[in-house]
This record gives sequence, structure tokens and C-alpha cells, in this order.
Amino acid sequence: MVGIDLYTPVEKAMRVLRTLDVDFYDVAATYSRSISISIFGRGIREAISKVDIGLGVRAFKNKGLGVAYTQSLDESDIEETVRRAVKYARAAQPDPYFKGIPGPSRAQRVPELCDKEIVDLTIEETIKIPRNMIDACECVRRGGMYRGGFSANYTKYSLMTSTGVDIEEEKTAVSASIQPVYREGDDVGSSHEFDYGVRLSDIDPYWIGRRAAEKAIEQFGSKRIKSCMLPLILSPEASSTLFMSLLLALSGERAVKGRTFASNLIGKRITQENLEVNDDGTIPGAIASSTYDGEGVPRRPVKVIKDGIVLTFLHNSYSAGIINVESTGHAIRDGYRGHVDAGPSNVKVNPGDSTLEEILHETKRGILVVNASFSPNIVSGELSTTIDEGFLIERGEKVFPIKNLMVGGHILDLYKNIDMISKEGRIFGGGHFFPSIRIKEARLSGE
Amino acid sequence: MVEDLLRFIVERGLALGANFCEARYFEERSNSITVENGIAKAMSSGILRGIGVRVIVNGHWGFASTNLLTKKDAEKTLRDALSGAKSIAAYAGEEAKILHIEPSNDRVFHRVKISPEEVDPEYKIRRILEIEKPAMEFSDRIKDTLINYRDVVTRVFLHNSIGTLVEEITPRTIISCRVIAKEGELMQSGHEVLGNVVGYELIEEIRPEDFSIKAARKAVSLLEAKAPPRGRFSVVADPEVGGLFVHEAIGHNSEGDLVYSGQSIIADKIGQKIASELVTVIDDPTMRGYGSFTYDHEGVKARQHVIVKNGILVRFLHSLESAAKLGGVPEGSARAQSHNYPPLVRMSNIYLAPGDMTLEEILEEIDYGLYLSGSEYGYVETEKGQFTCKVEEAWLIEKGELTEHLRDVAISGSILEILKNIKAVGRDLRLKMPGMCGKSGQSVYVDGGAPHFRIDGVIVGGRK
Repeated sequence: MVGIDLYTPVEKAMRVLRTLDVDFYDVAATYSRSISISIFGRGIREAISKVDIGLGVRAFKNKGLGVAYTQSLDESDIEETVRRAVKYARAAQPDPYFKGIPGPSRAQRVPELCDKEIVDLTIEETIKIPRNMIDACECVRRGGMYRGGFSANYTKYSLMTSTGVDIEEEKTAVSASIQPVYREGDDVGSSHEFDYGVRLSDIDPYWIGRRAAEKAIEQFGSKRIKSCMLPLILSPEASSTLFMSLLLALSGERAVKGRTFASNLIGKRITQENLEVNDDGTIPGAIASSTYDGEGVPRRPVKVIKDGIVLTFLHNSYSAGIINVESTGHAIRDGYRGHVDAGPSNVKVNPGDSTLEEILHETKRGILVVNASFSPNIVSGELSTTIDEGFLIERGEKVFPIKNLMVGGHILDLYKNIDMISKEGRIFGGGHFFPSIRIKEARLSGE
Repeated sequence: MVEDLLRFIVERGLALGANFCEARYFEERSNSITVENGIAKAMSSGILRGIGVRVIVNGHWGFASTNLLTKKDAEKTLRDALSGAKSIAAYAGEEAKILHIEPSNDRVFHRVKISPEEVDPEYKIRRILEIEKPAMEFSDRIKDTLINYRDVVTRVFLHNSIGTLVEEITPRTIISCRVIAKEGELMQSGHEVLGNVVGYELIEEIRPEDFSIKAARKAVSLLEAKAPPRGRFSVVADPEVGGLFVHEAIGHNSEGDLVYSGQSIIADKIGQKIASELVTVIDDPTMRGYGSFTYDHEGVKARQHVIVKNGILVRFLHSLESAAKLGGVPEGSARAQSHNYPPLVRMSNIYLAPGDMTLEEILEEIDYGLYLSGSEYGYVETEKGQFTCKVEEAWLIEKGELTEHLRDVAISGSILEILKNIKAVGRDLRLKMPGMCGKSGQSVYVDGGAPHFRIDGVIVGGRK
């Protein structure tokens, strides 16, 4: 089904739109095919394959926006969808911030975003991946109960606009995860590991399974500790949530309209440490790369934080228009459903100069956070979150796993307190890079 | 005709070797309006529709879905499901089996007073702006007001090889209001939401003082609120926080699929006392709420589910599969987000049954604690039994009186310990949590509620 024709239905919608009285419009269509195998309970449970196709129209009249989408590409349904979008555009009221939609730009094609091996993949060809994850868990410890799976997805996407944008892109994505649960009486050892990428070869099921099982076993015998102030050492998985929260709060209209805790951070230093964060949607073979963003603006690398100072918002054309700057190429379109937002692509945090071992060693007493979501209230920046998986550490050694421990504070206080960044870290999806970091002091609620 | 296509798939599925075959058509038509600071800047509408096919072949599940609705594509989708099930057959794993029950044959259409489709879009906009206006004018500290309106009609048409043929059409309307207040550098937000299996009358009946003004008042008053103390305290949950707590702490753990797959902390506790005797928890798809329905997505007629009765764990929620594996009775708890997903065991409208105390009586007995109000989000690690609920606002309770206003409060705890610490339950039950619940990548409509109730020894997180 690779040869699916999206051009004809998109062009059909464009033809109808040309005859109607609207100021701007765009038409996006996507076709996606995915296969997945679920792991549940004692092992492999279910084989799943999906086909999803749809077309969405955005029409603007007097700065009012009308959106409509359909999952039927029949001519009559496309025409009806166009007419609904136009009717709603006329009913909507003028948005004073709307300045138009981007015109065409030429960009160098970002390579290696579509693994041809995935396009026609069958369940039979991929069954080994979840099986190997389970086997790897069983090699570490037998008798687990599991949850997780493997999936591979191929997407073809086409966008045309009244301003002359005409693009088509193909992408693939794979992901695999497993969560083993072991029980010893009332005690539970459980953890989770995952990986994702563009190519089938990006996934190492043995590594995922082994690591998940080893982490799960370490969780036996978790204990509570008293409320206190302690340093936190965040694993790359945990630090990724802290960094992604900030970049989301710097993205799009919410950020520009002053509705996030990061709205007034441009030009300000947020951390003592030499923190540098780059966003780059042009990395070959990376999960969040594409030649163009969701509005047809070429992707480009953007330095977001340098020397601890926040340099820029991440824009789509709407948010850029509000403050009269150019879009940074961060429009995110919700497939064919017509909603266009803005957000980070591949996020790379520059490594620091200590090894993780040095960071642990230099921490007399602290908490190693393996898994927690440092996502604050996006308006106020205030945060209170449970450490889902972590350890009390003393002089570099894990003492015991902790439970029911919460971190509270303002996200910007956590940033201010970053005092060490590790040399090594983890690459996610072939593009993101997050190191381990130490936050020298955080408020913890426990017993 | 959808029915012909469903019949074709099931017949063909059996002929091609399926031991069980199910074809489910799903269609959802929705309209939404986005209002920001007095301007209805965007309106949208969408139609989702397609078919999901599920088969069991020799003890293995295969599922496939498509939104291409020709007979040829239906057959291809069926063949994908069959070949998927056969492809995993060589690997021992979790066996697929279902309980064979009496087939259902029915068509259900939930009627509403005012069909949203028949209301002129411009009239809808005028009415929503009318609701928003008093929030904008509430205080000079109001920075932004945002309203999202959505009406949606969901049609599910299901046929399976047991002989079930059920069609159900459910209209829902939901509206949310977020208000951001600002003072210097400090920003706070207040949120209110109303939603139900209901038509446009929901919007007509809104009184701004119970909705948009309430969100505005919350946002402005939170600017002055303080950080909560940290540690273990007695807390009193309002109906929203209570609904969230019951959903996270008991609801998810009682989902039959999580029970048979070893992911639930209460898997081996049927018949045992897991909570104080004041605790009765009910999941009820048949009552009025955002999570209501008559048939689940396996075509099983929905009934009320008493999960915990006077502290004793009585039953789990079941799909045809979890009932077969755990020896339970399926009574309508299997639902899927759309045709694109196989059904999972889900809650509907879950609540803590009322007791006999007034809020004043509950507060009176507390010397020092926290009153929690409004839910932001929650989650649970069912396998460990650890839950977290983030609340919108709180007050300190001192000698039975609400004193200092607090913000940014979250609670966490171990389920088996905390359920035994429920020490008082009020009589003022309200279902007040219309929204979506996420599980394994699928979202479904749910609701929840509780009367005011007291829990001791809850860990409260905060900034102080």
C-alpha cells in the first residue's frame, strides 16, 4: 500500500477551496500503517495491525479559523469537509493575532527518516523482537508477569496551502518496551525499560529486556524516608522530563502570550551551571526530524539555552507573528485533524564534565531518581511529583530503594540548583540527548 | 450498509478458521469551539469512522483496523487480523480465551433535549461568550480566559460470532473554562468543567456563578495562597478529589485485565477487607454521567458494579476475557477508544458511596489537617499500589475550621495502607469529574465522584 495516492484527494480539496471566498487555507492528508505485538501477563498476547487515513482542511476568513477533517477520501466527503471548514471559518470571529500562513521555502532533504524495511513489515517478521525482550527478562529472573510490546509505523504525509506550499514526506518509527513485575510475598519488584527510533535496527530487544529485569529486582525492599532536604541526581530518563517541560513552556502561542512559567525567561539566566540546550529537527535518522515542520517551514537547528541563558521561544508561524519574528520551524500538526501547535523536536543537552560515578561519589547523602516526571503546572511552574522509582544513596552507594517520596518546589528553583551535569547520557530516538544531572538541594515529602 | 459489512466479516472470519470473530464499526462526529478572551477564534468539526476486527485463532488474539470501508478492505483487514493471530501462535504467551455468554440484540439511542447539530454555530458562539464575559470582568487581575466547547455523537455498531448485534448512539457535550490570573510575576490558573451524556441544554442551563466565575475566583484567590506543609496528615477530600482518588486507588486496580496479568496489588484479595468498613465503591455505567453507556464494546449489557462493599473487596470489573480467566461475570466494562483499538477493561462512572455525616461534622473532628479541593490529574502504579493525585487548591484545617488557603498540593500513598485509613464519609455525594481516562494508549469517557470524606496519614507534598 506504499503507493497510496494522497496527492489526488488533497488536490481535489484545493480545487474546491479555490472556488470559495476564503483568505487562506491549507489541506493535509496522512496515511499510516502500523503493526504491533502486545505483551501482557505471561507473555505475548495479541497481534495488531492498523490502517489510518484522513484529510483535514483549515480555512481562514477575516482572521477566523474553521477546521474540518474526514477519514473518507471519497470525492463527496472531501467536498463536504471543505464546505464545513469554510462555513466554520465564516462563523468564527477575527483573531487579532493571526497574520497569515507561511509560503513555500526550499530545504535540503533530511535523510534516513524512512526505513524501507518497515514499510511492508509483517507481524511474522517482527515477532522475535518482543519474544527476545521477554527471553532477556527471563534470563535475569524467571517467572515475571509482563506488560509492554513492540510497534512499527509507516506514515506518508502531504500538505498543500493557498500560499504555494506543496510537500510530501514519508517517515517510519519503531518502539519497544517491557515492564516486568516480580513478587516475593507482599513485596513487589517492578520497573520499565523502552527504546524507540526510526529504523528497525535502532531497537535492541535484549538490552531492553535485561535492563528492565535488573532494574525491577533492585526495587525489592523499598522503604520510606522522612521529609527532608537532599540533593537529587536525575537519570537521563528523569532529566529528560525536566528539560522537555521547559521547552514545551517556551513553545508557541502559550509561551508568547505570557501563559507559561517560561514566558518571561528570554534573555535571563536560569541556572548557575554552563547549561546549553539545542533543538535540532534536521538530524538524519532521528525520531523528531523532518525536512519541513507542520506548516511547511524548513526545520533548522536552534540554540535554546546557552551559558544557562534562555535565548528564544520555539515558534510556529502564528506565535512568531504575534511578536513579529520568523517562525523557527517548530509547527506541529496533529496529522489530518487540522490542529497546529508548536513544540520541540530533537532536544540535545550538552554533556558536562563529571562522570556519573563522580557525581554519585561527591554526594554524601541524596536521592538517585531513576524514574519521575518533573512536569510542573505549566502556568505557575509549581511542581509536586512522586518519585516513582529511586534510591537513597550515601557516599556513592545505593542504600535502598525509596517509596512514597515526593519532590516539591518551583521548576525554576530546580534549574537554579543544577550544580553538576554528567559527561555521559542517553540518546533517545537517534536524536535527543539527555545527561544525568545533580540538583544540589530539593524539598522532599515523606514520613 | 454497515450491518451487512459487519455480518460479512464475522461469517467470513469463521469460514477462514477463526474460533471467535468480532467486527465493530465506530463513528464519531464532533464539533468544537475555541474561545479566548472574548473571541471565538476557531471552530472545528471532524468525522472519525472505521472498523475494528478481532479474532481468536487457536488461543491467540489478532486485531486489525481500517477506515477504508469497502468490502475488499474489510476482507483485507480480517485477513490481517487472522494472519496476525497465526503469526504469534508459535510463541507461548498469554492465552486468548473468552466467556461465551447469551448474545444481545438491541439498538439504543440516547435522546437529548436539544441536539447540538441543530443549533446555529453563531448562536452557540454568542451563548459561550455570554458565559465567559463575567469571568473576564471578575477582577483586574484576570489575565486570560479560555473556553473550550465540544459536542460529540458516538455510534458503535458491533457484531460477533456469539450472535450479538448491538448498535448504540451516544451524544455527549462538554465545556471547560480556564482562567489565568496574574499579579506581578506570579500567575495562577483556575479550571472548571461540565460534561455529560446530554445535548446542548447543558450549555443553556449554565449559570456563570457556578462555572466561569468560579474558575475566575479560584485563579485570583490562588494568587494569595500559601505553600502546604510537608509530611503525613489527615485530609478531607471534596467530591472531585475524592472521585479522582477512588478512580486511581481502587478503580484501576480492580480492572480484570490488570488482575489476571499480575499488574494489580489487590489481585489476590477478593473477599478480604481492603478498606475501612465505611468504604463502598461502585462503578456504574447505567447512572447518568459522562462515562454512561448501555452496552460495552463487546456488546455486553452494562450493569452497576459494586467493587468494594463495607470495606470488603467484592468483585473486579470484567471483559469477556478477564471473566473467563478469573471466573467472573462480565457486566459491561470492556471499551475501546475507537475502531482503531481492541477493547480493554475500563471504569465508567466510579464513586465512593455516601455515608451519613455532614462536612461540618467531618471537619469538626480534625485538629490539624488539610481540606483538598478540585482535581488536576492523578496516576497509579497498580502493580506497586502507589498512587499520586494532584489537587487544584487546599485549605489548612485547624481545630475543625478552614484557615489558610494553600496551593500546589499533591498527595501520594500506598493504596492498601491508605484505604484502611478512611475514617469518615459524608452524605453529600456528587459525580463531578467528566473527562477522559488514559490506559495503554487509549482514552475513554469517564466520570467520577464522592461525598466529602476523611483519610488519615496521607503524604502531602509541597514547597514549604
